[in-house]
Amino acid sequence: MDNPYLLIVIASAVAGLSAGFVMHRSDFCVAGMFRDLFLFRNGFMLRQLLLLVVVSMVLFEAGRLTGLIPPGPFPLLGAPALTSVAGGLLFGIGMVLAGGCVVGTLYKLGAGSLLGGVALIGMVAGSALYAEWHPWWSRLAAATTLADDVTLPQFFALPSAALTLPLAAVGALYLHRHYRRGGLSRPSLALGHIAPWRAALVLAAIGFGSYLVVGMPLGITTAYAKAGAGIEALLWPEHTANLAYFGAEPLNYIPPFAASPVSGGAGPQLDAIAAIQYPLITGIVLGAFISARRVGEFRLHYRVPAVQYASALTGGLLLGAAARMTPGCNIWHLWGGVPVLASQSLLFLAGLLPGAWVGTRLIKRFVIR
Amino acid sequence: MNETTEIRLDIRGQICPSCLLLTLKEVNGNHQAIRSGAAEVVVFTDDRQAVTTIPEATAKMGYLSEVAREDEAYRIRIFTRDTHG
Repeated sequence: MDNPYLLIVIASAVAGLSAGFVMHRSDFCVAGMFRDLFLFRNGFMLRQLLLLVVVSMVLFEAGRLTGLIPPGPFPLLGAPALTSVAGGLLFGIGMVLAGGCVVGTLYKLGAGSLLGGVALIGMVAGSALYAEWHPWWSRLAAATTLADDVTLPQFFALPSAALTLPLAAVGALYLHRHYRRGGLSRPSLALGHIAPWRAALVLAAIGFGSYLVVGMPLGITTAYAKAGAGIEALLWPEHTANLAYFGAEPLNYIPPFAASPVSGGAGPQLDAIAAIQYPLITGIVLGAFISARRVGEFRLHYRVPAVQYASALTGGLLLGAAARMTPGCNIWHLWGGVPVLASQSLLFLAGLLPGAWVGTRLIKRFVIR
Repeated sequence: MNETTEIRLDIRGQICPSCLLLTLKEVNGNHQAIRSGAAEVVVFTDDRQAVTTIPEATAKMGYLSEVAREDEAYRIRIFTRDTHG
């Protein structure tokens, strides 16, 4: 294809629109899944996330075995470092305080939640702020790197199927046990409700589709830094131009249907990151907007206690900064990295769990009273 | 027929998980009145998940509930005896 960006933009927009629609209808809130486990001891929604991971594991492995996707890990996944645990911890706190993760806040914004919009502003600002301490943080990441191998199968020098398929089987058995007890579905009176298990299957299919066409599963947070860099460049052009983080282009790969490589980074320029992630972000907000309009539930809500705005903004700032420190967000790592057993993603998850616990304590004590 | 006091709770637009948390707080704080039929809690929410989780959680506590659409949101009534019936 002459223009590698056209297909990427279209595929990402379609992925975003469908994901936004489905997430709104099923209320597929990843932040809520972790939070409710700690707050209400309710693991119903977290099981839906496990279903998404297990199905993605099988799909990605099938893709690799049939040659549809390359055997190695997808672009932008880095070597495992302890800084990913710290990033996960802050991310976990941030997503609970923000009332949604980097994608959850988008679909809530699309349905009319102003708090989602405030969290988005926080995420953009937090991502851009990270550039201020990036040089120091990347040195820390280099100093705490545990191995050169990106995935566990690489680390153990095993074919990936030897680890992913048995793990997927264990996950499937666990889910089957819950399924037999009726623990995977529950009735809902919400209009146009899509059962979360169906949503998990659709989202896994969307992630696989993105892997096939774009060359990697869903990820959106570098674009938050990019948007922040664009705004910062308007206000303080010289300072922004001198920040090393905005000058780097960590993405450099040949997309599946392209003849030449494309590259991209967090700087304000329109590049491959912009082509992949901006349509995805816009698509999610728009998909949720369409969904909410179709069931007559779109309404702008702004009359909420001021402390909730403060919580959404703080959470957003934490989410934005943490996603750069990890690097990567929960969607990138849980829906993409964990299914390929990327060590960085597993370390992120190890930090995310206690982070969500801390966030739950904070929101219960200071925000919702 | 005795009058039933309606305790209204408008949680539209609020941060998650305000809906379930604030509802449970209200229900727990008025449990005697609700159990005797003297009061009922009526929640207005735009949280689609709360439409499931509020009836589920309050049913475990022994209450009845009914869900209806109102404007762009949902109205969830939590009670013990159907004094409207």
